Amino acid sequence: MILAQLMVNGIALGAAYALVALGFVLVLNATGAVNFAQGDLVMAGGFLAVALAGFIPDAPGFVLLPLVMALMALLGIAVSATAYLPLRNRPPVGVFISTIAVGIILQNGATVLFGPEPKAAAPLFGGGAFTIAGLQVPTQSIAVIATAALLIAGQYWLFTHTQLGRRLRATAQDPGMARACGIPVTSMIALTFALGAALAGAAGLLLSNQFFVTPSAGSGLILKAYIAVTIGGWGSLPGAVIGALLIAAFEVVVSYTLSYTAATAALYLALLAILAVRPQGLFGEASRRRA
Amino acid sequence: MPEALTRGLNPLLILAALALAAYALFGAGPYGLRVLTVAGVYAIAVIGYQAIFGQAGALSLAQGTFFGIGAYVTGILGSTSGFGFAVTFPLSILAPTLLALLIAVPVLRLESHYFALATLGIGQVVLLAAVEWQSLTGGANGIAGVPGIDLFGWRVGRGLPLALFVWTLVALGALLAWLLGHGRRGAAFPIMRETPVAARTLGIDIDRLRLEAFAVSAAYGGAAGALTAHTQRVVSPEVLEFPVMVTILTVAVIGGQGRIAGAVVGAVLLIHLPEWFRGLENGYLILYGAALLATIVAAPWGIVGSLERLRARLIPERPPAAPAASAPPARPTSKPSLPASSAPVLYVDGFGKRFGGVQAVSDVSLRLDRGRILGVIGPNGSGKTTLINLITGLEKADAGKLYVSDADITGEPPHRRALAGIARSFQTAALPSDSTVLEAVTAARIAIDSDIATARSHAMHFIVQAGIADLVHTRCGALPPGPRRAVELARALARQPLAMLLDEPAAGLTEDEQASLARRLRAAADDGIAIMIVEHNMPFLLPLADRILCLDEGRAIAEGTPGSIRRDPAVIAAYLG
Repeated sequence: MILAQLMVNGIALGAAYALVALGFVLVLNATGAVNFAQGDLVMAGGFLAVALAGFIPDAPGFVLLPLVMALMALLGIAVSATAYLPLRNRPPVGVFISTIAVGIILQNGATVLFGPEPKAAAPLFGGGAFTIAGLQVPTQSIAVIATAALLIAGQYWLFTHTQLGRRLRATAQDPGMARACGIPVTSMIALTFALGAALAGAAGLLLSNQFFVTPSAGSGLILKAYIAVTIGGWGSLPGAVIGALLIAAFEVVVSYTLSYTAATAALYLALLAILAVRPQGLFGEASRRRA
Repeated sequence: MPEALTRGLNPLLILAALALAAYALFGAGPYGLRVLTVAGVYAIAVIGYQAIFGQAGALSLAQGTFFGIGAYVTGILGSTSGFGFAVTFPLSILAPTLLALLIAVPVLRLESHYFALATLGIGQVVLLAAVEWQSLTGGANGIAGVPGIDLFGWRVGRGLPLALFVWTLVALGALLAWLLGHGRRGAAFPIMRETPVAARTLGIDIDRLRLEAFAVSAAYGGAAGALTAHTQRVVSPEVLEFPVMVTILTVAVIGGQGRIAGAVVGAVLLIHLPEWFRGLENGYLILYGAALLATIVAAPWGIVGSLERLRARLIPERPPAAPAASAPPARPTSKPSLPASSAPVLYVDGFGKRFGGVQAVSDVSLRLDRGRILGVIGPNGSGKTTLINLITGLEKADAGKLYVSDADITGEPPHRRALAGIARSFQTAALPSDSTVLEAVTAARIAIDSDIATARSHAMHFIVQAGIADLVHTRCGALPPGPRRAVELARALARQPLAMLLDEPAAGLTEDEQASLARRLRAAADDGIAIMIVEHNMPFLLPLADRILCLDEGRAIAEGTPGSIRRDPAVIAAYLG
């Protein structure tokens, strides 16, 4: 019984992590750049949901979700314009530092605006729980899983079944060739950042109800996205989702049996062990290195 | 005078240093002195950080962690054991250095982004440990009652004495960093930072350089942490949190990456910044973030780099005189008693390599002989470049053996193979764009010559020989394709190799340049070098080569003289036809 309960919690957490990791991989594939601000974008999405709830009292999360995602998409475009596009032809370390700088601004901006205390956003469809086969399932957990699944499916459909998705993939594979074929590469990159930030915003809203959001949550989240992507194979979209589910399951089980601190420490140590043994990730590298 | 030293000695910087000293001695109140002391502490942390981040070019996010560990060691020992500074300070340096050496094994060979995130992860583990291990660290409350600095009975008082003590350590640390980072090691850093793959094939052991730089950064981080514990008199988990790392990174970038003076200037400026913008309270980190972003986008060379550029524009500096060329002593060829033709210089026995499902190279054997040129041809994707990568060790062969002068070097890493006598060029010339031609060719000598001046003068010999002496102070990034090739060839020849492997050396050259390249290669062969040339340009290759090896889909399909290869039906079907 407890195991089933833990599974539901783990899948819900993993679904939210998967959104974080997906946004990270989308930008990674499109630009070859690691977006260190991804965790802070999730945090920003959480606080945006909290702030919007102040303007629209009693609005459930599913009403706020499209608003948060739209605003975060704009923020994503701003990030690409200030922190990626001016540095695209320089060594990759420049983008690492510029996105770290964006993270610093977001994190401390949130501290100044909202204070350092944890905040919670509204649940998607109100609180409460229902019972299936004697199992107490929080409505929020099911709603989080459904929403994340919907967003992941939408993202998959966009990339595989639309002209825009083909252009985005072409840009990711070979920007030079894509440009030669008449694809507006710069807009595609900005759009990818917008998508990545929108997914981060959604994850922020979903996570901040059960787990709260603090301004300093970003570095923990980017590490988890990074671990998920490393486990799932650098650059692989399905791998990112699987990796996110795995680390969430690990976290939920170890937190339950030992403590949250032990879970986090074990996760990082496991990562170091993976890197020591298989630097290319557990399932190999999906994207070729662009150094 | 060594340029690394003069580069930091800008008249403006000297004036600023004097003004700062006058302020400390006569103008600053107790609070001002305290801020100056903190700036000195950060200067030490960043001088160390410049080694791994600025010079080795690896974005470590563990410097704040090393700083925090140094602080905790001093805090724990100082408050409980009663040991003085003479014991706690060295231990505070030792502990993070040992940690750096320990974690270096899994993380140092990782690529840039993996390295950055792995070091961030290590920081999180240490922070968790500091909060949870309450019996040792005092948990979230930390450790109070850390004593001041007590050195063999001499107590360093608060205020001016402490500020002077810290800044004396800054000066010593800067001097030591300069001693460590100039000369041959200093010449290796730009090559290893910008073109790490090429650096390995020049005989530079970049893994070891990175390890040393990481250990040095940890030692400085620990020293700074110890001083912060003595300054604050308390140690709490704050010293391990991300804002410390943010400050260190921001100071390094804004001051000027890789520059010792940049660390000091950046620290003084950024530690004072929050004092000048008091209204911001804790929002000063937003300012750091914005300044970091603006700097990395608009002026990635930082303040000290900007001053250098400004000076270069105001007082156009004549380039330093090129060192006098001196011919290096001839490389002792192994086993000179043997007749030149009997043993191959380099022998590949059955190399094989798979990438995923593709057999890139399959059972290829070849020999390179003294004074002979082997041409390697084949369609795109037939495994030619992979073959060079396998011989130079950049890729690991799944099967086969490699011998140089009869010695089996199959298991050796790239830099050892280079030292065994293998040199190479790259398909797209891999020159560090910010280095001058002289610096780029000198890099080929630093693993051979005993000091940098000799390396430079030997490099000059090969530059003159290549006929590019007028380009000696040109930045490699500004070179047109022809001269780029010439520089790369000069760099390969400067290694005085036994065997030289060239990847499409004639690509993009004019006919005149091709003719001159062919003459130089023939002359190099006549000097006794065994040469292998991968090339698509048959009018260039066929008259030049003594023998030709043709690859197709990773297999050797024909080998023979250029004349026989031209008539070989398999070669015509696969490639020439």
